[in-house]
Order: sequence, then structure tokens, then C-alpha cells
Amino acid sequence: MKVLHQSQFFISYQCDKQRCFFIKFPHKTIQLGFCQLLAFRQQVKEIDLEAHFNGQNTHGMEMLMLCNREHFFVFNTLESIDLKEFLTGTFAMLELNSLLTTSSV
Amino acid sequence: MEQYLELNYREMKDLVRQKLSIHVDIMDLLNKQIEKEAHSSSAYLAMASWCDHNALSNSADFFYEQAAEERDHMMKIFRYINDNGGTAYSPEVGGVNHDFKSLEEIFETALDQEISISKSIHNLVGKCRKVNDYTTEYFLQWFIGEQMEEEQTMRRALELFDLMGTEGLGLKLLDERIPQIRNKNAE
Repeated sequence: MKVLHQSQFFISYQCDKQRCFFIKFPHKTIQLGFCQLLAFRQQVKEIDLEAHFNGQNTHGMEMLMLCNREHFFVFNTLESIDLKEFLTGTFAMLELNSLLTTSSV
Repeated sequence: MEQYLELNYREMKDLVRQKLSIHVDIMDLLNKQIEKEAHSSSAYLAMASWCDHNALSNSADFFYEQAAEERDHMMKIFRYINDNGGTAYSPEVGGVNHDFKSLEEIFETALDQEISISKSIHNLVGKCRKVNDYTTEYFLQWFIGEQMEEEQTMRRALELFDLMGTEGLGLKLLDERIPQIRNKNAE
């Protein structure tokens, strides 16, 4: 298993053998297929961080359900900010890997 | 777990490419295009409704057809994303305008809408070239031709207003000519 990206709270891994990804959250690690990773990315993209600071999201919480509702997560504002950076970094690493693979052909 | 970790990216499989034939950023843009096509389809439905209420039945039929066509475009992109391993998202449509002053305003709005869609497709093709997504660029070629035809149709309709006027009998005669502007393109 190889590390893709690490942020303050989260780490992403790629497992070549199982052809899947793992994400380590502060309290547990979950396995995701590529489609599930895409769905996670989409959910995180839709998080409105501005709402955390302009009073719209009064509790400062984000609730996400992952992997066809198998996992349920609650993130605070700091974690939500970190999560956005984390997913961007993870996909940047995946793209970098694609470029390296292509250039070696 | 740490002992299994390696940071050598060169040895990693390209799992993304194995699962997805299109670039991830392009997939996002295609999903945005789906939203635009869906909005366009709903906008044409609103125009059809206005025409129906104003006894312009040929124009109404024309816009019903346009609405169906835009939905077909949306579905084409929707299936393309899913067929190539990505995830297409069902779009939410809001902010559809139902108020128009005249049929001329409707056709002008329709032309603006088509121009906006054309620009969006062109931007997508440009982005495909930047990230070397030749598959999607090839897929989008059909849309470029289609958009050219759509713009021509709307322009032809607006030319009719210059020729026949915007009120009274002229408007009625113009409505009768509307089915032919599409047929002319199909020939």
C-alpha cells in the first residue's frame, strides 16, 4: 500500500493488489473503490465553507455518508477545510502518477 | 502499516486510468455541461408554454422539439461519462424564466442561449487539448457541428422578424413559417 497524500487529519493510500484506495480518518480507515472515491470527492466539493463563517451553518458541522451509506462522518470546520485540501492533493497525486506512467510508455 | 508504505510513485499502478477513460477535470466540466443542457431544455419548455398561451402553435411545437433535443444532448453526455467509468450527476434545474414580452424576444433569448452553449462546448474542447483528453475531444466534435446548426436555425427565425414584422397578421404568417426553418437545415 502506498501513500498518495497526507494532510493534517487524513491520509490516502492506493492499494495496487486490491485495485482500490484507503482513507485513514482520525478514528478509522475505510476502503473505497474508484467510483466511491469520485463520489466522496463530489460530496467534499459541494461543502460550502463560506456558510461556516457567514452564520448560515450555525453548528459548523458537515455530515457525509460514504460508500453507499456504509459510513457516516461528521466533520467540524477545521476538518472540512482540511478535507478539501486533502482531496485536491490526493487527486493531484493520482494525476501526477498518470503523467509519470504515460511518460514512461 | 508504516512498513508497507512506499513513496515511489513510479512503481504505482495507474488505477485511475484503468477505471476512467476520461480526465477527471474533464468529467467535472462535462457534468457542468449536463446542467447547462438541462437548463436549456427547461428554458425551451417555458418558451413553448408561452407560445401555446399566445396562440402561436407552430412556434410552440418548435420549442417543444427544441426542449426534447436539448435533453437528448444532455443524455448523450450523461451516458458518455458513465460509459467511460466516470460518474454523471443528475442535474438540478432552477431559475427558468417564464415571462417574455414577445416572440421576437423569445427567439433572441434562444439564440443567446445557443451561443452560450456553443462557447461552453468550445471551452471544453480547449480544455481537452490542454490535458490531452483526445477521447472526449473526438466525442465533442459532434456537438460542435450540432451547435452550429442550432445557431443557424435561431438566426433564420430572427431574420423572419425583419422580413415580416412582429405584430398582427405578420406575426401569424411568421408563426406559419417557423416549421420550415428547421426543415431547411435538415435538408
